[in-house]
Amino acid sequence: MKVSFPHMGNAYIPLSALLSNLGADVIVPPRPTRKTIDMGALHAPEFVCLPFKVNLGDNLRALQMGSDTLAMVSGMWACRFGYYGRVQHQILRDVGFEFDSILLGRDGLGKVYNKFRDTVDGSLLRGWAHAVRSFKHKAEGMDALEKAARKMRPFERERGSASAALAQGLALLDEARTIKGTDVVLREALAVIDSLETDEPAEVPLKIAVVGEIYAVLEPALNFDIERQLGEMGIMAYPVMSVYKWLFRPLKIDPSILVDERLARRIAKPYIAYVLGGEEHQTITGTIRAARRGYDGVIHLYPFTCMPENICRTILPQVEAEFDIPVLNLCLDEHASPAGMATRLEAFVDLLRERRRR
Amino acid sequence: MKVGVPRALSYYRYFPLWKSLLEGMGAQVVLSSPTGDKLLENGVRHCVDDICVPVKLFYGHVLDVADKCDVLFVPRLVSIEKAEVDTYTCPKLIGLPDMVKSSIEGIPPMVEFVVDIQERSIRSSARRLATELGMPHARARGALADALLVQASYEQRLLAGVTPEKAMKEVLGNGNGEGKKDASAGRPAGSRARPRDVRIALVGHEYLIHDYYISHNLPAKLERFGAEVTYMAEVPVDVIERELARYPGISWSYEKELLGAASHFLGREDIDGVMLVMGFACGPDSIIGEIITREVLTDDSAPLTTLVLDEHTGAAGVETRVEAFVDLIRRARNRS
Repeated sequence: MKVSFPHMGNAYIPLSALLSNLGADVIVPPRPTRKTIDMGALHAPEFVCLPFKVNLGDNLRALQMGSDTLAMVSGMWACRFGYYGRVQHQILRDVGFEFDSILLGRDGLGKVYNKFRDTVDGSLLRGWAHAVRSFKHKAEGMDALEKAARKMRPFERERGSASAALAQGLALLDEARTIKGTDVVLREALAVIDSLETDEPAEVPLKIAVVGEIYAVLEPALNFDIERQLGEMGIMAYPVMSVYKWLFRPLKIDPSILVDERLARRIAKPYIAYVLGGEEHQTITGTIRAARRGYDGVIHLYPFTCMPENICRTILPQVEAEFDIPVLNLCLDEHASPAGMATRLEAFVDLLRERRRR
Repeated sequence: MKVGVPRALSYYRYFPLWKSLLEGMGAQVVLSSPTGDKLLENGVRHCVDDICVPVKLFYGHVLDVADKCDVLFVPRLVSIEKAEVDTYTCPKLIGLPDMVKSSIEGIPPMVEFVVDIQERSIRSSARRLATELGMPHARARGALADALLVQASYEQRLLAGVTPEKAMKEVLGNGNGEGKKDASAGRPAGSRARPRDVRIALVGHEYLIHDYYISHNLPAKLERFGAEVTYMAEVPVDVIERELARYPGISWSYEKELLGAASHFLGREDIDGVMLVMGFACGPDSIIGEIITREVLTDDSAPLTTLVLDEHTGAAGVETRVEAFVDLIRRARNRS
């Protein structure tokens, strides 16, 4: 079984660990680029949200690389994301590809569980247990590395050194075959990031929270690697979500994530009374918390026509005024350009610096 | 007390219910004026750029009715059917009161009517509405029973193929429909000579098709080119349910209707063509449109065309599309 799945930040590292431990050959398409987005946009419905187009492009590339099984999460939600797998796979079949679908959430756990009966050596249950353990280790490792690099970036002496160390660490983490090996690689990579040369900055760095639609916040291909851009401008940028949280939230095994979700819903309740199916609670709560914790500003990222985030976009100006925190709304689509993004970021940062001086 | 109801979104589906309920509780109902240039422009100005046009229209209607009333009535449709799995309407309908509350200044206080059939009964929603309006609960009960009857007879008329405003006029009396453009009333006399030889089904949200300003009088245009129009509301619920059994796994209640109706029309012998009407930037439609064209449409089914409407759509553009579609159907028929 040659299995593939769309990208979501660095989620491919734990996901390929999971699938390869189940005996499947994992085909990871190249990180999304402009070409991926163009390929997806060609076959996607016109005004569907951008993540759909990127995911579709990822799938197309994976099929061209020879995968015969496509995996995707799926479900019946108010947000369109629940229907991605169903519609994308239909589009790809209409284009002429033949493949097998794994729609996690729609197919039922039993079906997904049994899918790997032929590929796992020995006991299927033991195979799954091991796969889930290595998935968890890699996910935690990925999260730790991302956090370390995020902390280091604004202070690094040589611009880009933290990101380079992060990329190297992630590559090694991806290559690690055993759980022990994963832990060793992680320790070493963390040590490399920690030992980077730093400069004491002339002033206390600005702090910016990044909120919005989860894929727009976490996928560097979509947001032009905003975290790195800000970090290398000497700014501490904190996304309110992480790939780790995204992976573990539906599994409901990490109590801290569940508590955080609950709390976020409660804080956002005066502004959004009902569940809309997206990250709306994290967006509103993230902005309120940023203000309370003394951040300098908030960047709100969302894909064009995203339903829950457009509602947030409507409500955020009120939050912005009530809590006195500047919010930059950035709408992303396949026509967004890096130069346009950089200009707006620069202008926003100038505004924040000026604001702090006063 | 004057309660202002915006003539947009769920108005087309539930206004008889809202009106009878509010009046039964002792309030006076004021409706916003029909959509026009100024109203749309106002709505667009107060709205986020990339939201769908029906929400922009809703904003326009809120602003229009705001200075004519004491309180503003904004429905919040969360779920409208009781099912074993979770069902939703659309995130924008769920968050509508939140959006209006935090982005328009200087409007009268708002009362919400929450419809969340999965979680609470319509009776408890009505009680809550009575509380918000400061009316006695005892009145809510009787008012709701009457309102549901009115709504049922309204839906009966829709099922028989009557357009919403005509049906409303019949059910509610003449009080609400002064000076509005009626699809059939506006038809020029000459067109009657033309035989109606093509039958076209319109599938799409009623707040698009029946807002004749934004749809550029689509039903009347079709009729002018000699087409007989069949509306989605004419398909009974059980037929939709039966069709949906073939396409399971959708949680948006309104889009389920679109899918079921499209599937029904595409399989019907006496329907010559189906027109799918969508609003630009409509989230659920972008997915359902794709499911209809990829899962439902086959080589043998009647032709289907998609018409996407937004605030920039020109009347001439709609006209050309409609004419081309009707011509295509006629030509295909003559050839066979």
